[in-house]
Amino acid sequence: MLTESTNQDDDEMMNQATNTQTLASVEPNSVENRYVINVSQGQTSLYVASTTGSEAASWNTYGVDNHFAENASFSNSTYHHVKHSEPSSRAVQDGSNATSLATSSTLGATDTQPDYGGYASYSNSSDPYSHGSTGYQGYYSGYQQQPNPSYSQPVGAYQNTDSWRLRKQQLHSSDYHMEWRQLCKLYYTPPQHYKQWAEYYNQTEVSCAPGTENLSVSSASTQVSQLPGVSGGYSTSNSQAPTTFATPWRPESSSSQTPLSQPGATVTGAYDSYWTNGAPTFQNQHPSPVQPLFVKALDTKYSYSNFQEQQNTACPQIPNLQYPMAQQAPQNYQPTAQTVQSSETQRLSKLQIQTNPRIASNLPLGLPKLDREGPNNGVISKPAYISVSQPKSSEKVLSNDATDSVIKAGVFPKSLKNYVQRALTQCKDEKQSAACQEIMKEIITKATNDGTIHTRDWDAEPLFQIPNTDMADKNSSQNPTPVSLFSKYKKSPTKRSKSRWEPLPEEKSVDKLGSLNNYAGKYSSKVHLDEKDRKPTGVNYEGKSDVMKKIRFPQMELKSASRTVQRQVKRQRLADATAADNGDASSDSDKEQNLTAYYSGAIMLADTPEERKRRENRSKRFEKVQGNRAESNHFKAKNAGTGNLYARRTTALVLSKSFEDDGSRAVEDIDWDSLTVKGTCQEIEKRYLRLTSAPDPSTVRPEEVLERALLMVQHSQKNYLYKCDQLKSIRQDLTVQRIRNHLTVKVYETHARSALEVGDLPEYNQCQSQLKILYAEGIDGCHMEFAAYNLLCVIMHSNNNRDLLSSMSRLSDEAKKDQAVQHALAVRAAVTSGNYVLFFRLYKTAPNLNACLMDLYVEKMRYKAVSCMSRSYRPQVPVSYIAQVLGFSSSTPTNEGSDEKDSDGLEDCVEWLKAHGACLVADSNGEMQLDSKASSSSLFMPDPEDAVAHGDASLAVNDFLTRTSL
Amino acid sequence: MAYPSMGEAHRRITDYLNNFSDAVSYQDVASLAQLFSFSSNSPPLLSVADALNFFQDANRLIKQSEKFSQYGEILAPLFRSLQSYRTGNLVDAYHAFEKFANAFIQEFRNWESAWALEALYVIAYEIRVLAERADRELASNGKSPEKLKGAGSFLMKVFGVLAGKGPKRVGALYVTCQLFKIYFKLGTVHLCRSVIRSIETARIFDFEEFPRRDKVTYMYYTGRLEVFNENFPAADHKLSYALTHCNPLREANIRMILKYLIPVKLSLGILPETSLLEKYNLLEYNNVVQALKRGDLRLLRHALQEHEDQFLRSGVYLVLEKLELQVYQRLVKKIYFIQKQKDPSKAHQLKLEVIVKALKWLEMDMDLDEVECIMTILIYKNLVKGYFAHKSKVVVLSKQDPFPKLNGKPVNS
Repeated sequence: MLTESTNQDDDEMMNQATNTQTLASVEPNSVENRYVINVSQGQTSLYVASTTGSEAASWNTYGVDNHFAENASFSNSTYHHVKHSEPSSRAVQDGSNATSLATSSTLGATDTQPDYGGYASYSNSSDPYSHGSTGYQGYYSGYQQQPNPSYSQPVGAYQNTDSWRLRKQQLHSSDYHMEWRQLCKLYYTPPQHYKQWAEYYNQTEVSCAPGTENLSVSSASTQVSQLPGVSGGYSTSNSQAPTTFATPWRPESSSSQTPLSQPGATVTGAYDSYWTNGAPTFQNQHPSPVQPLFVKALDTKYSYSNFQEQQNTACPQIPNLQYPMAQQAPQNYQPTAQTVQSSETQRLSKLQIQTNPRIASNLPLGLPKLDREGPNNGVISKPAYISVSQPKSSEKVLSNDATDSVIKAGVFPKSLKNYVQRALTQCKDEKQSAACQEIMKEIITKATNDGTIHTRDWDAEPLFQIPNTDMADKNSSQNPTPVSLFSKYKKSPTKRSKSRWEPLPEEKSVDKLGSLNNYAGKYSSKVHLDEKDRKPTGVNYEGKSDVMKKIRFPQMELKSASRTVQRQVKRQRLADATAADNGDASSDSDKEQNLTAYYSGAIMLADTPEERKRRENRSKRFEKVQGNRAESNHFKAKNAGTGNLYARRTTALVLSKSFEDDGSRAVEDIDWDSLTVKGTCQEIEKRYLRLTSAPDPSTVRPEEVLERALLMVQHSQKNYLYKCDQLKSIRQDLTVQRIRNHLTVKVYETHARSALEVGDLPEYNQCQSQLKILYAEGIDGCHMEFAAYNLLCVIMHSNNNRDLLSSMSRLSDEAKKDQAVQHALAVRAAVTSGNYVLFFRLYKTAPNLNACLMDLYVEKMRYKAVSCMSRSYRPQVPVSYIAQVLGFSSSTPTNEGSDEKDSDGLEDCVEWLKAHGACLVADSNGEMQLDSKASSSSLFMPDPEDAVAHGDASLAVNDFLTRTSL
Repeated sequence: MAYPSMGEAHRRITDYLNNFSDAVSYQDVASLAQLFSFSSNSPPLLSVADALNFFQDANRLIKQSEKFSQYGEILAPLFRSLQSYRTGNLVDAYHAFEKFANAFIQEFRNWESAWALEALYVIAYEIRVLAERADRELASNGKSPEKLKGAGSFLMKVFGVLAGKGPKRVGALYVTCQLFKIYFKLGTVHLCRSVIRSIETARIFDFEEFPRRDKVTYMYYTGRLEVFNENFPAADHKLSYALTHCNPLREANIRMILKYLIPVKLSLGILPETSLLEKYNLLEYNNVVQALKRGDLRLLRHALQEHEDQFLRSGVYLVLEKLELQVYQRLVKKIYFIQKQKDPSKAHQLKLEVIVKALKWLEMDMDLDEVECIMTILIYKNLVKGYFAHKSKVVVLSKQDPFPKLNGKPVNS
């Protein structure tokens, strides 16, 4: 095995020498996947958390927190990277480095090599990053099939994930099987380990949230440890493990997720840097600064390994030792960042990769494969491990053939090839790889077409996600135990009801990010609170928070409808530039700056100073949470020039999209000023569609066209719905172009009138309020007409004396002389005095559309009148009189010879009276009379036929449609 | 104006600071309140303001001594406000004053007893007045006046501090009244509701325990609200309370109350003496009263038209307009009496034509239908007892009390 693995490793190294970046990126990716998932999905994440907890426990046996365990995997990969990452020419050197490292770490060359072997076995697919994932998968599978030959692989995987520990173990027992056993034991059997873990937590008070909870965990874990059957009972142990662990983790629920992710991230970063550093060191690139650190790290490692050994023997001190590792790693990290550009880029690439899942989710293809695989492999048998396996598994499976098919050798840059490989690694089965190939082809074709294929940084290119259809099923297939856990985890801020296997809706990310940052902030602060030895860890976490940030922002960006490929490239460049700029002097804070700058640069390509400022504010929204970042926006400034309208628009789109999705942050966050467009659309007719994003000039009509459109609508014979639609779209176009002039007034007036005609009061009210503002701005229009409408509206609608008084007192003398206004005032008087005769006379002489508004009051007025009549008249009132007085007949009382019309009105009146419970009798002449005495007690106001539950009949679509003669 | 010398300025400021800290330590609310009372424009205060403007570095003086620096949060903005106030920059003065007031209530919260209530009153008053003046300044500069609104929310905060249990509750009504003033001025009367609810539902504190001054003001404003709602009996009750409890020497206050109470009483059928109107210069109501007495519709309409703006602004226009029905009633009653004198047997049958003729004589050009409508309304509203015979166009009056008096009850609506 060893030899094999080493060979493979070598191969791999050769292959991957170029891949370094990819690798780096990939690993973070996996990390991110997992974290993202965790964070975003409440239940799932919780679940994950619990799983991680269990994992942690299991790992703890080795003295490593699960985070660390994962980290370890990352670190391994990084390690890998480093070796490979250094120029391919140095591959040999790397090898030697590795050895040297190993030696220095006292692990011995053999130790390291075994590790490699482990990698190799997985990485035989030549995908380095697959280690982690595959490793896990393999691990799991291997676990189940201990006796299997594949077992060795799992072990390797295991090693990957837990390289240090494994190494140690390897030292102890060169026999893998033995190791395996031990591992199993370690994982499941020994309570002490759990205790240790707990202790570890207690002692260290890990800056991550879990630390606090550890106590509870410890107890739980101990129980757990006893529960699981070591050898065969994996599944059982799993199911139990989650539960038990769940409890401990729950308390932290909110923080727990983040912590998980954070530690992971941090560690990764740390490891990354560490290793990168290490590599340089060995190459003597940065001998002076790096080396001491490195040495330290080695020392820690050493100790660590020792401890691991001890761990094996269940030594309680292990946790502490491990910490040092983590601590030192960060220290190294910084130097790395500064010195080695590549490392910087790596990080960046990581970031992007991390975003990958997001992107993928955006892709129509849909469901992330990653998620799905996790469940497949892990969930069914061992829920506890799902979380871990998930991310990794996603990228795990390499389908080399697929890669080959997609990539035509020689034509494409190596990085692209790697990219494709990476992508294909995602694929689990044929279907997926087919789909993946499709996507790849598309991407590559696109890249070729726009000539970016050679310029693009494929290593940094995010992976898309492979369509996955059966995620939901997977979810349901999950263990019942986790479910209960989920419910317990409700506290978590990121909790969602949706299954975690689903692709994350983009909107969540904003919040998530926020929370992430929050956590990051918390973490860092916590860390600071920690004792001195932990301080380094704090650094770690900060670094992590950076990482998190990176994750976040890219995510956000990626959401944008346009996949923003170019932008990523830009970003990459930016990042590089940043790295270069900062040079050797960069520190954590610098990094932060870079990140922010990078983020801002990517997201905000701002043109104008206000714009920038606004964006800045917006970005600060997130940053405030973090508290510890003082931003230098110099990068934004740099970018300022590059922003063009399009960029701005896309940004706005992105933002608006995310905000819109976010729900809580509404459209008002969009900077409409910057979005004022000059329309170019020449179509006169345009359907109204409520804008959900920045307007596109090509669909916005300029003023001249709008004028014609208005004319068209005014002369249109079509129904109100059509007109309303058209007018709304005109209004929208006016608004987005910020046109406020006579045309605007005309449009609103037209709309208000047509709305009045059909009694569409909501629409009318909108127009009226706009008109009020427009008139107040001094734009001419039919001011009086609408003043009258307004008055009538107040009378008819709100029975509010104060409103009425104020609108009356606001009328100018000039207005009071206006015929329409006078009419409105007269109507008011008639209404307040209940003078129905006057009211219906005014109704008949109403100017403009006053009658339309009066219509709204007719029913009430008639009812009042009839109740008044039935109270006052004795013994009878002729219906003809009622019909005449209450406006049923269209004729005025003085109008002679209107009998025919009257009869029409009479019938209506009779019908109306009957509908309202009036008693009608025919007198000797056969004339219908209202029996007032009988009616006085029988009158009632019938329920309006068009009554709707929400009280406003005009809002009921059906009713509206019927009233609007279609 | 003669600027004080540096030493003089220093002395004045230090005096002021000493006064402040003494007032606080001896809980001498009277002298404390004096220190805040900008609008009194008292010479000592103005001289301090001058000194501040001259000295410029008052903050140093505050920090100088522990005695003052512990109130630095209060004093520093207070000085700034005083300075701005003196130089006529009212907007800045308001801003600083609000800061000062916030700091003060923070301190006030910590004081167990309510000794500083008077000072708080002064602050509540000053902040309102200052806000009004600042708004005027803003409006004249073409900016949107919003300081009064800000003062409103500040006072709401103060109300929150006072409205709980304990000795400070006594002060709640004063703040409420200041709030009323702001809300009425801003036209956001609906905001009064929450405050009123809090005052009226509090069981632990009897309304009568509030200071009389505040009770009167409170009743005045709530009475006005009832006028808006046309809830005349309630309005009558509240305004009458205000009238009977208010200081009889404060004629302006009495006039303000009467301005609303008279229309309310009128709509309840109670007419004031002309002497009352004359005494309190409320002659705009005179014609209305006369119209009611005479049943002179024309006079009423003229009176309404004449004082339309005034009535609209004070919000009694609609109330007065509703008196029309009573005027009709009076008119019909008069016709009835004349008929009765002529022919007692047929007195209870009023021909519509007669009424139309009477209205025509009053230059009210109304046709039969309209008058018929009004008669039905009169009967419907129980201003006239009887019925209307449509066929013969005759109002048949009840033989018993055909024109019932309102006697303090509102017209049926």
